[in-house]
Amino acid sequence: MQLKRPGAGLRAQLLAASCTLLGATAAHADDAIDPALVPTEPARSLDGALAYYHESDGRVTAIEPVISYRKSYGDDRALGLKLTFDSLSGGSPNGAIASTKAQTFATPSGKSLNAAPQTYTTASGQVISVAAPVYVVAPGQLPIDPNYHDQRLAASGSYELPLTRLVRTTLGGALSWEHDFVSTSLNGTIARDFNDKNTTLSAGVNGEFDVVKPIGGAPVPGSDYTLFEKTGNHSKHDANVVLGLTQVMTRRWLTSLSVSYDHLAGYLNDPYKIVSIVDAGGNVTGYLFEKRPETRDRRSAFLESRVALDHAMIAADGRYMTDDWGVRSQTLNLRLRLWDHDRDRYLEPSLRWYKQTAANFYAPWLLSSGPSYVEAASADSRLAPLHAFTVALKYAVKMDDGSVDDASEIAVRAQFYRQTQDHRTPGPGVLQTLDLYPGLKAVMLSVEYRTNL
Amino acid sequence: MKITRGVAIAALLGIAACLTGCGTLGVKPWQRDLMAREDMRLDANGMDQALDEHLYFSKEASSGGRSFAGGGCGCN
Repeated sequence: MQLKRPGAGLRAQLLAASCTLLGATAAHADDAIDPALVPTEPARSLDGALAYYHESDGRVTAIEPVISYRKSYGDDRALGLKLTFDSLSGGSPNGAIASTKAQTFATPSGKSLNAAPQTYTTASGQVISVAAPVYVVAPGQLPIDPNYHDQRLAASGSYELPLTRLVRTTLGGALSWEHDFVSTSLNGTIARDFNDKNTTLSAGVNGEFDVVKPIGGAPVPGSDYTLFEKTGNHSKHDANVVLGLTQVMTRRWLTSLSVSYDHLAGYLNDPYKIVSIVDAGGNVTGYLFEKRPETRDRRSAFLESRVALDHAMIAADGRYMTDDWGVRSQTLNLRLRLWDHDRDRYLEPSLRWYKQTAANFYAPWLLSSGPSYVEAASADSRLAPLHAFTVALKYAVKMDDGSVDDASEIAVRAQFYRQTQDHRTPGPGVLQTLDLYPGLKAVMLSVEYRTNL
Repeated sequence: MKITRGVAIAALLGIAACLTGCGTLGVKPWQRDLMAREDMRLDANGMDQALDEHLYFSKEASSGGRSFAGGGCGCN
């Protein structure tokens, strides 16, 4: 007779089956799960940053808080919202060249170069005297409007939506307000995966419509600065197409290529920029409001690679851009993320190098002996031949928030930017004694916090 | 126009090469452990990139490339 506890066989069989299953899982844990298919993304996340930007020589200072929110619905749908505020103050170059004599300029709202105080009589008969809306630049100094200040509020949103298992689309839009500029844009991107999701092709379009409403009105391009010929608001638009290809090359190497084309049209001038007119002796004889072409076609190619090491990540990217204004630029970026052993903090140094050629119509000054009519002319240093370096260092600490990858993080970053003009053509006559191309140095400090909700 | 043609040809060649040759590249689904890492996402530095793009948009003649070129800013 065989004595056997009821159910013992069943438990043994279940235990054996469980061990088999567990063993199988343990043996193939790395192989059985496709991390890309596991919804590790948190349902809701918040990312906030505060940046402080400061240029040397009393130029622009800016404070920029940014907050973004993302909600994923678990079925590849996701909503993204972002709010940005900028507050800028300080001085901005007006485009005129330094001179051996003091120079007087009107503020954007000014309609005269008369520096004498202006007097008004109130209804009660009281006479009020106010400073004229002008500023005077000392001899040898780069003309900078010291009263520059601006605020910008920008909001953007996007919605990601899967169309099939391999095709997804993203729809987005953005609004931006400044007291002298309003921008609206809409965009859409469609992406399809190939080759076991190792290859992704994407195509996106963006349409932007801007209203330019400068303080004091938009100057007539190329008109005499002293005549203050200004009209009302103007507009410009930008149509942009981007084609993208992302490829998983190996287990450690991801690469991405984008080519883009954009067409801008409308009032493309900077309404606050002027060009000096000088004689052969280097004396300033007048100024013109800058005049840029009314269209611009830009093309670019962008290539990025990321390589995952056990305790580091290397990201490198390069961009080549060219346009029909004659600007050709190259950009190289290198970023290295160095994790500590426990992957709960990292240090991220980065370097950027940038070089551009000048726009065809870039002219630091115009000669009074030259043609009386110019097709296009701008002394804006951003259209000059130049190169720039950025060095940055970021330090971030991850926090244990219970998510798969502990996505909560607090980070601080400091970066230094230096821009130097190339082909520094000496000025005529007495201008040869002056530094006409002072360049730009700036620092940016930022702190960022992101967390799952 | 040469540049336009060059960019277009490079894009077409890249796409054609990928649709035919990229099948031999890549990894199997169970080899995606490193690709799933947060720092391997192309937007892993999204906030830094947005702040930087705004700086460079306002100080240089080029913008975009990584994505759309529009700035939504009157600073340039």
